[in-house]
Amino acid sequence: MAPQVFNLAQTPITCHAFSPDHSQVAVSLNSNDAQIYTRQGSSWTLTETLSEHDKLITSIDWALNSNRIVTASQDRNAYVWQQTPDPDTGKLIWKPTLVLLRINRAATHVRWSPKEDKFAVASGARAIAICSFDPENNWWVSKLLKKPIRSTVLSVDWHPNNVLLAAGSADMKARVFSAYIKEVDDKPAASVWGSKLPFNTICGEYASPAGGWVHAVAFSPSGDALAFASHDSSISIVYPGGPAIYNIRISSLPFVTLTWTAEDTVVAAGHDCQPVVFTGSEGGWQGVGSLDDSSTAKAAGPRSGLSGGVGRLNSVAFSTFREADSRGHTGGGVSTDTKLTTVHQNTITSVRPYEYSGGRVTKVSTSGVDGNLVIWDADSVSAVAGRIGGMRV
Amino acid sequence: MDTAFRKIDIDVYDEDVLQEEELFDADPREPAQVLSDAKQRQVAVRSALAKSDVLGALNIVLENAPYGPNVEEAKTVNLSTLLNILNTTKSADIPNVIKGLSQDGQDTLMKYLYKGMALPGGGDINWSILLGWHEKLTEVAGTGCIVRTMTDRRTV
Repeated sequence: MAPQVFNLAQTPITCHAFSPDHSQVAVSLNSNDAQIYTRQGSSWTLTETLSEHDKLITSIDWALNSNRIVTASQDRNAYVWQQTPDPDTGKLIWKPTLVLLRINRAATHVRWSPKEDKFAVASGARAIAICSFDPENNWWVSKLLKKPIRSTVLSVDWHPNNVLLAAGSADMKARVFSAYIKEVDDKPAASVWGSKLPFNTICGEYASPAGGWVHAVAFSPSGDALAFASHDSSISIVYPGGPAIYNIRISSLPFVTLTWTAEDTVVAAGHDCQPVVFTGSEGGWQGVGSLDDSSTAKAAGPRSGLSGGVGRLNSVAFSTFREADSRGHTGGGVSTDTKLTTVHQNTITSVRPYEYSGGRVTKVSTSGVDGNLVIWDADSVSAVAGRIGGMRV
Repeated sequence: MDTAFRKIDIDVYDEDVLQEEELFDADPREPAQVLSDAKQRQVAVRSALAKSDVLGALNIVLENAPYGPNVEEAKTVNLSTLLNILNTTKSADIPNVIKGLSQDGQDTLMKYLYKGMALPGGGDINWSILLGWHEKLTEVAGTGCIVRTMTDRRTV
């Protein structure tokens, strides 16, 4: 099935989060406001604007069971938004609650825990705020994970057991922490990551192979494996039980976001403008192809021929310069078409699971700097020529 | 308007500032040993080149290449050994030699190409030869290889 493409804006979409029933999507259009779009047939209309932050919103997450939205911003604050009836009109409105994060730098990423009783906020203050609700005082309180983080935390992801948290940081490391909160959590069962897990236990620390910032981290559905993507154009999969780390260096531009779609499959996307699929198991990992099917691409120039099929370099404009360089063609027939042959026309900022079926993610959604929101069929992978082999470290 | 405040090094007021050395694992070898390794390799490369084994010579020079602080002399020796190989390889042989390298080898070779192009020309350094290798290496290893050269703090 061809991907569904929706152009929401002419500005970048920093992040996106769908409502539980997929009828609405919350996005940040690179501004101080979070905007909620409602689906009407095949288009999306702006229905609500959540204004409270006074600097750019960096991340949004929508709790699927409790229907609450959390937003994080460069203003060092996070708000939890809950729908409550307006006292005058009785209409449901989103009401913000300020969260005391106690950080002195921007908040960069936010994610609800699986049970939705906690959330984690990554920040530039070399800390991750683990927030839980204090019913006595009726507010959200935070506890900071600090050691041994040496730089900005760029992403977080929760383990299915609601206690372990993975974090990717600009100090070139991906780490697994315990975010156990006595008042909220039951004692977690022992897992491959360890058995005794008081708050701030380091269960694993993994360096990116060629010293790139770790942009994205994610636990596998079972929680027994960890994937991370870093700015050295590589993706790594960690099996702590093995112990084994599989590192795949890709031949194109770095990924900035990734998600697991099954225990053996990861979708990663980023500066190359197309979602790429990797599969493997404890025995090894490899890249299998792109969700961006080249045959549906617009009739804009050849796609193959360039090494690794770099999406961003596959534009008519690029070919024009290359022709001029290699054959001396100038003028005459110069195309003004600057469209890329990929669906997204710029960096993909976020890839998230969209639809589940039989324990697998069957559809994923992406948002990009081009202002597009795209829903992809996660199983329609078009093979790239020459598989990218995994290397065991 | 006074803009001098922009030049203030605010990091000195931070007692927990991130140091350059914390960004990568240091070479476990002593600087003196790194230097003697580099010199030994120079000899090994010469004998490999005498048998016109370009790939073998490249593998020798790219493996365990000196990086990090305090090994400037070893770095210079290794660079000149490498340039010697690059300058004597026939351009028709380049693609096959590059394909024979490991991914690590390709990444390290790219680091040396950029280092070479950053230095003033003359002597061993012939920019057009470096550019020729750069073109062929990018065809094989892609833009990802260039990205890794830029991110890696283990500079050669």
